Amino acid sequence: MNDKARTIAVIKSYISKMPSLPIAWSKIQEISKNPKATPADLNQVISLDPVLMGRVMKLINSAYYGLNNQITSLVRAIIMLGVNTVKNLALSTAVLGGLSSKNNFQALNNDGFWRHSLCVGVAAKLIAIKRKKDPKQLEEYFVSGLLHDIGKIPLNNKLSTEYVQALSLTDKEHLPLYITEERTMEVNHCEVGRLIVSNWNLGAAMEDVVFFHHFIDQYPGDNRDVLLTVAAANYFANAYQIGFSGDRYPEPLAPAVFEELKITRDDFDEVESKVNGEIEKAKIFLQVAHQ
Amino acid sequence: MAIRVTFWGVRGSIPTPGPTTVKYGGNTACLELRFGDEDRLIIIDAGSGIRELAGEILKKDLKKGPLTTKIFLTHTHWDHIMGFPFFTPIYIKNTRLDVFGPVSFEEDSLDSVVGGQLQYKYFPVNMGQLEATIHYERLKETEMDLGGGLKLTTKYLNHPITVLGYKFEYQGKVFCTVYDHEPFSNIFDVSKDDPSYDEEAVREGALAAAEENKKVEDFFAGADLLVHDTQYTEKEYKKDKKGWGHSSFQWAVKSAHRARVKHLVLFHHEPMRSDEELEALYCSLVKQIKDKTSLTVSLAQEGVTIEV
Repeated sequence: MNDKARTIAVIKSYISKMPSLPIAWSKIQEISKNPKATPADLNQVISLDPVLMGRVMKLINSAYYGLNNQITSLVRAIIMLGVNTVKNLALSTAVLGGLSSKNNFQALNNDGFWRHSLCVGVAAKLIAIKRKKDPKQLEEYFVSGLLHDIGKIPLNNKLSTEYVQALSLTDKEHLPLYITEERTMEVNHCEVGRLIVSNWNLGAAMEDVVFFHHFIDQYPGDNRDVLLTVAAANYFANAYQIGFSGDRYPEPLAPAVFEELKITRDDFDEVESKVNGEIEKAKIFLQVAHQ
Repeated sequence: MAIRVTFWGVRGSIPTPGPTTVKYGGNTACLELRFGDEDRLIIIDAGSGIRELAGEILKKDLKKGPLTTKIFLTHTHWDHIMGFPFFTPIYIKNTRLDVFGPVSFEEDSLDSVVGGQLQYKYFPVNMGQLEATIHYERLKETEMDLGGGLKLTTKYLNHPITVLGYKFEYQGKVFCTVYDHEPFSNIFDVSKDDPSYDEEAVREGALAAAEENKKVEDFFAGADLLVHDTQYTEKEYKKDKKGWGHSSFQWAVKSAHRARVKHLVLFHHEPMRSDEELEALYCSLVKQIKDKTSLTVSLAQEGVTIEV
């Protein structure tokens, strides 16, 4: 087994045990144990955590495997699976976090990563609204944005020494993170992310977004609209420095993407105030009442 | 007759033996299905009623040779599996059982959930000591050809854990189970003043609930016989039973009528309900729907067989 194959094997075994982000643990526990917690509370806490969101989507889509349509709406998933099932899943995902090493997020800062993920999800949805996409599709834009960097979690948690090196290499050589990941670990977060999303059975569009969000020029498929939107939202998050996901020197977004999406940089200013508002609301929500 | 359904357990939640339940029965869910002239046996659920079915099988089927059959569990809540350790064919050599059912989380296996009841701390016999060959298989929403012209379709229902409704089609007749089941509802529909109000979620929730209810009705549309959850009255349901995973008499009747079902059997009786109360509810229901529907409605009763 070569180094890359070994790395992939380590990551694959980690995927099934991947915990939700620590920032959401307390709130998940509070909601799961509180019989008066509303479905809206459950909806909200899941929407704020890429791992939990991915797991709920996995459960609904694998349980209902064989149906024609991929389910991307969390509201629908909660109605179909039932509050009880989703609460149990959320709690077990948070418990995985409690049992795992406290050294998680050595290289990437947990709060920064969470803010970045949420920012890209919210921004992708706002751009889609701006572009008058069908309201039924908005959730897919949000979830794709929320999960676009999910591949960084196993790299950061399981290969933390190498990940620290990858991050310092971006600083030293002013390179995008995915390039320094390849140099230090032979895999990048896009490849790892696709492993996760495919393991979770989240559908082709989500896999494409996760795998191609740094390689939009090379994208051959049918999910171009959501991919470009997430790439634009990711560029926005980095440019406006909302959260931090390790990419201090990302590649610029090609002008052609702005043209194709028919958006301008001015649109980003509008998105910024709304995104910041959403993140602050989320922060308040996640603070547990009795702490 | 193509399909014969015998009720061995009709009660919900917990066995309720005693003088007030003598007529309709106090055992929890178990249905015996027999198909065609060859009397092919299929069992739905292994509630406490399966113990008495086992006695019947010993008398009737074992004469013909070792038992080979399938048990379809609607779900793994205890009232639907508690009779399994008392199903005597599992102690008889050469019995071959295929046990099918849904599980909520993929980490759980059906054999540990159902067979897990057979361990020393709960029961004097351990799973590994059983003489029968038992094969467990997790079921999802699917279609299965069970051979000999018997077709099975499964459908997810709404309950606090994953539940499957079963539809058996044989010689042009259709038999369905829809329990344990609560109508899907828009749980996001809170008042506008509520801090958790989210317009988008309310809209999406309404759409999802309506579509899921339609799918369940489509599942049993035109059935010759439908066994439906009716644990509560509409009043009880609305008062404090929402989210408990059960339907009201009124919902089952309306839904079966809309879907042009021929015969509806009211099932999964509330444990507190006496024979007298059940009959009073039934009489008032029959009065309400008289001349308004061609639907035949009966109360599920232990030991009774319905043929289609």
